[in-house]
Amino acid sequence: MSAIQASVPATPVARRGRLTFLGGRVLEYLAVLIVALTLNFLLPRALPGGPLKLFGSPEALARLTAEERAQIATEYGFGDPIHLQFLDYLHSVVTLDLGTSLSDGRDVTAAIGDALPWTLLLVGTSIVATTLIGITLGVIGGIRRREGKGAFTLTGAIVVDSIPQFWLAMLLIVWFGVKWQIAPTFGATGPDGTTVAGLAQHLVLPVATLTITGIGYIFMYTRSSMLSVLTSEPVQHAHARGIPRGRLVRRHVLRPALLPVHTLIMLDIGFLAAGAIVVETVFAYPGLGRLTFGAIAARDYPLMQGTFLVLTLMVVLMNLLADLTYPLLDPRARTGGDR
Amino acid sequence: MQFQGRKFATSSVAVLALILSACGGGGAAPTQPGAGKDTAESVTIAIASDEGTLTPFTNQTGYPGNNLVKLIFDTLAVVEGDEVVGLLAEEIETEDNQTYSLPLREGVTWHDGEELTADDIVFSVEFHRDNAEGDSAVDVSMIEDVSANGSTVTMVLDQPDPEFPRMVLADMAILPEHLWAGVKKVGEAGTDLAIGTGPYVLDNYDNASGYTLTANPDYALGEVKVDTIEVAIIPEESTQFAALRTGEIDISTRIVPPQQLEQLQSESNIGIVEGTEYAATLLLFNNGRPPFDDPAVRRALTQAIDTEDLVDTALLGSGTLGSPGFIHPASPMAAGDSGSPYDVDAANAALDELGAKPGSDGVRVLDGEPMSYELLVQSTSTDRLRSAELIREMLSEVGVEVKISSMESDSLDAKVWPDYDVAQGRNYDMSMWGWSAPVMLSSGLIAQLLYSDPVKGPLNVVGFSDPDTDAALDALTSEETLDGRIAAAADLEGQVAEQAPWVTLYYRDGAYAFRSDTYSGWTWQDGKSALHGFSLVDYDL
Repeated sequence: MSAIQASVPATPVARRGRLTFLGGRVLEYLAVLIVALTLNFLLPRALPGGPLKLFGSPEALARLTAEERAQIATEYGFGDPIHLQFLDYLHSVVTLDLGTSLSDGRDVTAAIGDALPWTLLLVGTSIVATTLIGITLGVIGGIRRREGKGAFTLTGAIVVDSIPQFWLAMLLIVWFGVKWQIAPTFGATGPDGTTVAGLAQHLVLPVATLTITGIGYIFMYTRSSMLSVLTSEPVQHAHARGIPRGRLVRRHVLRPALLPVHTLIMLDIGFLAAGAIVVETVFAYPGLGRLTFGAIAARDYPLMQGTFLVLTLMVVLMNLLADLTYPLLDPRARTGGDR
Repeated sequence: MQFQGRKFATSSVAVLALILSACGGGGAAPTQPGAGKDTAESVTIAIASDEGTLTPFTNQTGYPGNNLVKLIFDTLAVVEGDEVVGLLAEEIETEDNQTYSLPLREGVTWHDGEELTADDIVFSVEFHRDNAEGDSAVDVSMIEDVSANGSTVTMVLDQPDPEFPRMVLADMAILPEHLWAGVKKVGEAGTDLAIGTGPYVLDNYDNASGYTLTANPDYALGEVKVDTIEVAIIPEESTQFAALRTGEIDISTRIVPPQQLEQLQSESNIGIVEGTEYAATLLLFNNGRPPFDDPAVRRALTQAIDTEDLVDTALLGSGTLGSPGFIHPASPMAAGDSGSPYDVDAANAALDELGAKPGSDGVRVLDGEPMSYELLVQSTSTDRLRSAELIREMLSEVGVEVKISSMESDSLDAKVWPDYDVAQGRNYDMSMWGWSAPVMLSSGLIAQLLYSDPVKGPLNVVGFSDPDTDAALDALTSEETLDGRIAAAADLEGQVAEQAPWVTLYYRDGAYAFRSDTYSGWTWQDGKSALHGFSLVDYDL
């Protein structure tokens, strides 16, 4: 397949093909969503223990009679037969009424609504930073693959990619929070409430953790993709014809090299929301990750289902977005392939 | 998942060490409670998890959730030192420990301005009776009759109970009838129902900033010493201690790990409040499963465990040796120090006598089965993980093989105490376990650990059964005076030491770190740690 292609206007036949393609994709995503919803319902119930522990201290629960246990389970909806619970769950998803948290009686949709903006702020900022830095370093690493710095950067990326998020987060807290005291160690807002400066200060360490641990992956993927295009026959041929390296990279290498990186980043956005659980927990950041962590620890079925649903939707939507935006970046996808 | 949890716990310890070492000591003299500020405009308390809407039926943990609830909701009595004194009740009057007369203090109002009445007390008893759920819910089933006469409430119990003031009057949150009368699902009680007569008013609760409690301007029972309490939710222990060092929080509700205690004590702006926790750490035997159904085997294994080494190594000395009779030596009900039964030679001799001979691999064989057992341990508890490793080594000295299974605490609970219902049985050989302070401080709860009958012994997670012990428990719980109960508890301790249903390994000491440059009024109260009314209110009782 040639890496350098001219864009060809879409014909009616191609448009029909694209509609069929999109229709197929939508059906695929619906199937994925149904499977994911089923898992979201089953996984909480597969965990050891159950939500009963939310209704008192172990000593108090031990005193409950069988009738009292059944009454609590029925009253709060986890005592019904499993198929009825599943139907209730599907109904709640369709109506977007995700029920009430067993932990504190809060509306699950409202709880998620409170937490989601914080996660989007955290993940969004780190995605931008990770993408810019990762791609820049990856492109440079690809171009300078034969230079000493390239190898050094690759080694550094592998090291950074291997650092556990928890460990890095604690290191940053120790040095920047405790030792130098230039960044807050926890939370999302300062004592003065929600100010831009306070928000930014509290984002520094969590974003740095997500960014540093995310750079290596994107760097290596970009570098590998760059190498693949740079060593392809047409680029080698163009290089032999004397086209300057800068122009060659800008016009003929970057675009095809970054196509797979685009897909990777889109997928990453969905997964990062879930991946922020560790960072949000360590930094006590009030986002979806901390909410999910608390829901799992408490065996709060409605809240777990709600947070899992949002995480699932984010992954599926990002996949769909990647599929839809790919043809905009790659003319071959608009015309049905390499013909 | 189990392995990850263990790594996480181990990493936490390492990171804590790093936090302390990276910051340097400071070298100033240790700051003790009382040496700094007696009042404060604002303090920030760190808790590990969300505690819901802070009503007596929606908080998630006994500690610190129940402690926070009790800052909002007063009780009829309060424990001051070793004494139970009246709080909302001016006095606790009883002649026979069965009929209690409680005249209420005057001038007490709810946070919404309504006056507290005796009818509110009657309502509260009935409401607690009808709603057994919630971490701060109190068992009031022993109250046969409750009535109001003017401003005096009378409670009649089904039998004399000298511990009633401590266990019920000092624990039952009093609810406003005018707000709670229509509540049907207590688990969904919102912050609009977090209205008590306590020294603090719940001002704000949200996901991002946690809770804000402000001093009750009309508090009639004393002077509130801190104007505002901010409660921050910080799940990670290492982050809590980091924030304490930076001054972002003023007290952590997590116990200072023993390996960090000395270093934190040397910090100039950090004070430590210490005391007896009473929570017991145990090695459980599944008494219903051979060979642990034989008291002689349990006794032999108990003799093989050096609890002193566990305290020295796993707790670095920050603990008290477990009493063979279970009850903490500092408890008013303890018979005294009965000494450790540790004796490896005696353990080997006892196992030999039982016919357990070493096999080719050195592991003893008893009744045709190798003495090789699984030991469950919570992956998130570093001291229990260390203790389990040490126990494995100790038991290997007497030819007993231990295979440690580290798991998340809910998974462990599901094996030891499925659905918190001992009638469902249990599925383990041995397990690390703990009982919280309230269990140690109540003879009724101690009895529930051991009664053969699941109805009378709902905490009997080992499946222990012994008629003589049942008789000793009957004697304990039927005693009508406190002195009588103390004497009966001594007999019970002898039974427990003899039968060895479990090994009481140790009781961790409590140590909580706070910023003495912000507020240093934190005091210790048995069973409540540092977060309680006496730390924040100068009571006029």
